[in-house]
Amino acid sequence: MSRVIALCFLLLAAVIGFLHLDSRPAWAPFAPIAINDPSPVEEVLEPQPVSKSKNTIVPIKPSIPSPIATWLPDTGAASVHAASLIALKDGAVRAFWFAGSREGAADVSIYSAVFDPRAASWSAPTVVIDRVSAETGLSRYIAKLGNPVPSRTADGRLQLFFVTVSIGGWAGSSISSIMSDDEGLTWNKPQRLITSPLMNLSTLVKSPAVQFSDGRLGLPAYHEWIGRFGEFLRIDAGQVIDKRRMSSGRSAIQPLVFVNSPQEGIAFFRQTRSSGQAKQVPVSQTQNAGQSWQLAPDLPIANPNSAVAGLELNNGVRILVLNNIETGRYRLTLLMSDTKSNQWQVLEVLEDDEASPDSNRKEFSYPYLISADGNDAHLVYTWDRKKIRHRYFSGAWLKRANNQLQTVETDPVTKEVQQ
Amino acid sequence: MNSFMQTIALIELSITSAVVLVLIMQKLTQQEFPLIAKISLILLLGNLFFWPLGLGMELPLAAYIRGVTGDLSIVLTLLLWSSLLPSSKTTPIVFKLAIAIIALGFYPFALGLDMVDPYAWGYGSIAFLIAVLVFAAVCGLANWAKGVWIIAIAIIAWAANWHESANLWDYLLDPFLAIWMLFALFGMLIKRRRAKAQSGYLFRPG
Repeated sequence: MSRVIALCFLLLAAVIGFLHLDSRPAWAPFAPIAINDPSPVEEVLEPQPVSKSKNTIVPIKPSIPSPIATWLPDTGAASVHAASLIALKDGAVRAFWFAGSREGAADVSIYSAVFDPRAASWSAPTVVIDRVSAETGLSRYIAKLGNPVPSRTADGRLQLFFVTVSIGGWAGSSISSIMSDDEGLTWNKPQRLITSPLMNLSTLVKSPAVQFSDGRLGLPAYHEWIGRFGEFLRIDAGQVIDKRRMSSGRSAIQPLVFVNSPQEGIAFFRQTRSSGQAKQVPVSQTQNAGQSWQLAPDLPIANPNSAVAGLELNNGVRILVLNNIETGRYRLTLLMSDTKSNQWQVLEVLEDDEASPDSNRKEFSYPYLISADGNDAHLVYTWDRKKIRHRYFSGAWLKRANNQLQTVETDPVTKEVQQ
Repeated sequence: MNSFMQTIALIELSITSAVVLVLIMQKLTQQEFPLIAKISLILLLGNLFFWPLGLGMELPLAAYIRGVTGDLSIVLTLLLWSSLLPSSKTTPIVFKLAIAIIALGFYPFALGLDMVDPYAWGYGSIAFLIAVLVFAAVCGLANWAKGVWIIAIAIIAWAANWHESANLWDYLLDPFLAIWMLFALFGMLIKRRRAKAQSGYLFRPG
C-alpha cells in the first residue's frame, strides 16, 4: 500500500516537473547590438592655433582629438586588477575593479568610480562590496573577491557579476551578482549563480555579457579547475537557467563573444595550452544563438595566456585589445578589423616595455572595452598591478583609423605573429 | 524571496550537520540512541549550527560549512535525515551501485572532459526528467518506497526553486552523496570478502 501511495506521489511530482519544464522560456536569438546614439560619427572640431596675418584669417582646420588617457582613482591599496566598465544612462561611464593588499587577500574589495566625459575626470572611488558584506548577503563563508563584470538588464537596472572564493585559489571560484536600481549608487543583496555540480566550484567571469532578444543575458564564463574551458550561461535575473559548453579540455578560458547575427556568434579565448602548442587566440563559433558551440581555427594572433578584450562598433568595425606576444604581458596592442575583410591589423601599440630587462618589465593586462555611444571606445586595463589605466578613443578617431587602414596597405597582423 | 531561500538553506544544513554528528556518535558508541535522545540532540546541535555564536566568527557555523559544500542535494539531505527514523531501512545496494555508476560517468563530463555536458540536461531536458522518473519508478517496483518519496520530493523542490540552483541535477546528486555511496559499496564488498574468507577458513577441509 505504501508503495502505491509513493508511486501516486511520484506521478504528482512528474506532473509538476513537466509543468515546470513547459513554463521555461524558449532559447531566444541574440539581440541586435545596442545602439545608444544612432547619429553618424562626425569629426569633432578641436581648437587649433589660428594663424593670423594682417588681412587674412586662416580658417580653423578640422582635426580629430587624440585619444584621452587617464588613471582610475587611487584607492590606497597596493594591488589593483580586473577593471571593467559600463555606460550609464546619462552618458557617463562607470568602472569597477578590485583592490586590496594583494590579489586574493581577504581585504580585497570591489570598487567603483564614474568617468565624466565632459570633464574627462573620475569621481572618488566607492566600495561596491567587500568580503564581509558578500558573505553576509550570501549566507556562507567567503574568503576573497575577484573579477567584477557589469551588465544591464532588460528593465534598465545594472547587474554586477563578481567572483567569490570560499575555498582554495581562483580555481575554487563561484559567481554571484548584485543589482542596482540607481545606476550603481546602491546595490541590493547578492545572489549566488549555480553553475557547477561539484560544490559549485570553479566558475569565473571576465568578459561582458551579450543580450538575447527576449531581454535575458548570455554571460560568457569559464572554468579553471580540472578542466579549463568556456561556458555560455543563460541568465534570468539572478539565476542561471541554462548553460552551454563553448570549449572543452584544458586550453581555453575567458571567452569574449561577438554577435554576428541573431543566430551566429564567435568567441575568442585566452589560451591556456601546454608548451609545444600554438600560442594563439582559440576560437569557437555558434550557428544557433549559443545553444551549441563548435571549435574553429585559431585567430592567428599571438596570445601569451592573457585576457582578450573586444568591441563591435555601430559601423560593423571590431576592435581588440590584447598582448600580441607569446610570452609576457609587457606589450598591449589595439587591433582593428572590419566585417568585410575580417583581417586584423595593429592600430596602435598602447604599452610596450620590451626595452626593459625581462625581470623588470611591467605587466599590462586584463583589458576591458565598451562603447558609450556605439562609435567610441573606452578601454581600461591593469597597469603593472599597481594602477588601472583608462584610454578613450573617440568615434571620429576610430573612424579615421579605419579609413586609413582601408586605404593604406598595412601588414596584416598575421605577419606580426610570425615575428 | 532571496532572504527566505538563504534562511531555509541554512536551516537545512544545520539539521543535516546535526544529523551527521548524531550518526557519528551512534557509530562511535556502537549503539542506537532512543528517538527522543536523537531529537533532543538534533535540536541542540542544529541550533548551535544555525545561530551566530560570536567567538570571533562573522557567521553561524552552518554558513562556514555551506561556504565549502554549497547546498546539499535534496536526495542526500532526506537520506541522511530519514536514516535516523526508528523504522529506517538501509538503502538498497542496487541504488548505491546505480548512484556510484551515474556519478562516475557524470562528473568527468560535467567537469569538462568533452563538449558533451550532462549537467546542462538538468536545466530543461524532458528526456532527463523522464529518465529520473523511470529511475524512481524502478525504486518503487523494487519495493523501496522511501526512494520514490525522496526523488519525488527532489523533483518538486526543483520545480519550486527551493534552492538557488535551477538545475535538477543539483537536487538529485552531489559529490558527498556519490562519495557516501561509493564508500558504502566498498565497505559492503570488504565485509563480504571477510565473511567469505572466514567461512572458507571454518569449512576448509582437513
